[in-house]
Amino acid sequence: MGNIIKGPSTRELMQQLVTDSEGMTVNDRRDFLRKGIAAVGGMAAATVAGGANAADAMINSTNLPPNEPSWGRMLGHGVIEYPYGQPSKYESHVVRRTVPWLTAESISSISMTPLHELKGIITPNGLVFERYHGGVPTINPEEHRLIIHGLVERPLIFTMEDLMRFPSVSVIKFLECPANGGMEWRGTQMEALQFTHGMLSCCEWTGVPLKVLLEEAGVKPEGKWVLAEGADGAHMSRSIPLEKCLDDALIVYAQNGEMLRPEQGYPVRLMNPGWEGNTSIKWLRRLEVGDKPWYHREETSKYTDLMADGTARKFTFVQECNSVITSPCPENPIKGSGMIEIEGIAWSGRGKIKQVDISFDGGVSWTPANLKGLVLDKALTRFSLVTKWDGQPWLLQARAIDETGYVQPTLQQLRDVRGTESIYHKNSIHTWQVSNTGEVKNVQVS
Amino acid sequence: MFKLAKPTLVAAAVAGSLVAGAVNAGEQFGFGRTATAEEIAGWDIDVRPDGMGLPVGSGSVLDGEGLYEAQCASCHGLFGEGEGRWPVLSGGQGTLADERPTKTVGSYWPYASTLYDYIYRAMPFPAPRSLTPDQTYAISAYVLYLNEIVDEDFVLTNENLADVKMPNEPNFFVDPRPDVANTRCMSDCADPAALQVTGSIGGVTPVGHFIEGADGPAASHEAQHELEKKMEMERLKELGVEVEEEEASSEPAALSEAAVAGEATYNMACVACHGAGIAGAPKVGDKGAWEARIARGMESMISNAINGYAGDNGVMPAKGGRADLSDEAVANAVAYMAESSQ
Repeated sequence: MGNIIKGPSTRELMQQLVTDSEGMTVNDRRDFLRKGIAAVGGMAAATVAGGANAADAMINSTNLPPNEPSWGRMLGHGVIEYPYGQPSKYESHVVRRTVPWLTAESISSISMTPLHELKGIITPNGLVFERYHGGVPTINPEEHRLIIHGLVERPLIFTMEDLMRFPSVSVIKFLECPANGGMEWRGTQMEALQFTHGMLSCCEWTGVPLKVLLEEAGVKPEGKWVLAEGADGAHMSRSIPLEKCLDDALIVYAQNGEMLRPEQGYPVRLMNPGWEGNTSIKWLRRLEVGDKPWYHREETSKYTDLMADGTARKFTFVQECNSVITSPCPENPIKGSGMIEIEGIAWSGRGKIKQVDISFDGGVSWTPANLKGLVLDKALTRFSLVTKWDGQPWLLQARAIDETGYVQPTLQQLRDVRGTESIYHKNSIHTWQVSNTGEVKNVQVS
Repeated sequence: MFKLAKPTLVAAAVAGSLVAGAVNAGEQFGFGRTATAEEIAGWDIDVRPDGMGLPVGSGSVLDGEGLYEAQCASCHGLFGEGEGRWPVLSGGQGTLADERPTKTVGSYWPYASTLYDYIYRAMPFPAPRSLTPDQTYAISAYVLYLNEIVDEDFVLTNENLADVKMPNEPNFFVDPRPDVANTRCMSDCADPAALQVTGSIGGVTPVGHFIEGADGPAASHEAQHELEKKMEMERLKELGVEVEEEEASSEPAALSEAAVAGEATYNMACVACHGAGIAGAPKVGDKGAWEARIARGMESMISNAINGYAGDNGVMPAKGGRADLSDEAVANAVAYMAESSQ
């Protein structure tokens, strides 16, 4: 599966061959292309069979030592060939992907982040998962306004310039759709980490604490809830308790150092750290302070959790402690025997990650992993364990614990309390089955 | 509060009681300005269960029927049963504790106000904010009627909406999490012999992302739509039903330069409605639906597409709601759709 996922198509390989042969002498090129085309033919068969490493077949040995590679015998392109830079063409497989059968069409839909390709804890802006309820609006920032009104002393209207005059703060926080993993309440469905956990990203967000703006407007004592509303066609809206607004909620206009991407709410969005992604209203245009919640569509019909007995939980805001192993995973099979670094990410909407443990036997015994890099409040936290693999089958699991002492639950524990129809907030321990060939499959252990 | 970067002499001299460079507690930035009542009124569209925010107005079940059939039924079905994967609006009462619950307005939604609020802010899907309050009351009344919550002679108004009681309201409760208490067991945490391992059901992962031409779930909504259409044809053929072969034979009619240029725009911006014939949109490939339009001329079609158009069967928002598209791109997309439907 891993080879299939990473393997470029025959067409792409042919294109790559032609490009790689540029700059060769005519004879070299002819020889190279002849060999390469034969390799592509064999490769296609190998890929479908999930056989030998397809990429190896495509190596152009004239670029290997002791030869001087082709790129060392010519000049490359100059500055501002790409005024806004792009990833290498060899990384074209690192993209967001959707599961089309989940939604009726692509406008009110979701795509997932390729977690299996990412390093560190920051999600590049072009790979942050997408969730739209009415597509991405094209907003002229000069014509965008944010209004704060309702139970306030002084209703205010801000231009983007106004908002950016306030002293700014920058924080690294994860953003997760509560439906992440929600396809697998009844059983495993997805043979790819991107689809089991990819409704998850983590960025540095820059903006103004919402508290500062609310203080400017002066919240009246009766004010207890804030309705946040988007400027998109869906006019996406959620009721947020005032407590969160005065705690760590932000009005953000930048992500990872640049202005928000249109997909992420350009020119301004709400950011409720650690809470369901949909509460962080994008393309934010209005904040109304009220004494009660509004019970809009996205907090009644959707984003409520149906229990087995037919009752339903409302205002399930927090994204509880969760973790997953990103290497190995179905897209990243184990390449060979010997030393291996088991890596993954953990996160909690209640604070910092305190500990991650790894099990190789489906949860019978556990070994502490190391947290590496930054360990931040409500941010992705990377964990690692270096060990040895000699072809033995594994039932690989990660289990995270956050600073509140909450231990990531098993799927059975969640099902016992909630049944299998609650769609959202499935933060259970995930299992990858590693076969003796290093191939990884998505399984559930009970 | 916030420290200013450079304390200025002026500030220190003028405000003698201030610590140099600091800002008084409670002092405001004063950025932005007071919003006028008129500005707020234009955007303040929200409605609450207690009726707060409802504009004066009314609409009957009867009025709603026609509006619903024109504006809503193409996605939600004539009786709220839902077409394809579009939301089911009616039925499902008594199924919430079942293995496969059906969550609808009648079976699940706790408040009738949500219906008015959502329709007014976001529906119809291709043309949000195109309905008047009276139309919204009427469509809401009709959806309540489809769910047997009101009678056929009911008139929904700003006065009585808060009194409409939804059957499932008592069944919502506030999040009690954390609701499970796992422990950090390190060894002998389970009986290895009793472990049950279940793998994934096949044919669900969208392998179309990874294998070209794979016989499985596709990578895009368009490709998935095609795949499902093909499967349905095969199923019907197996059942011995005579199916009309797809217009594969009529396809090769050469497209004009404009139409070729318009295909990409169509796939990006128009296909959501015109691919499936949603909200009265003429479906691409449906010759009958396009015949009269083509007869009126390209100019008329292009003008309607660019400027918007409200017909008997639905609404074409200006540029399909995609203000970012150039007039030329829209015109080319129209050419593509028309030429593919002749």
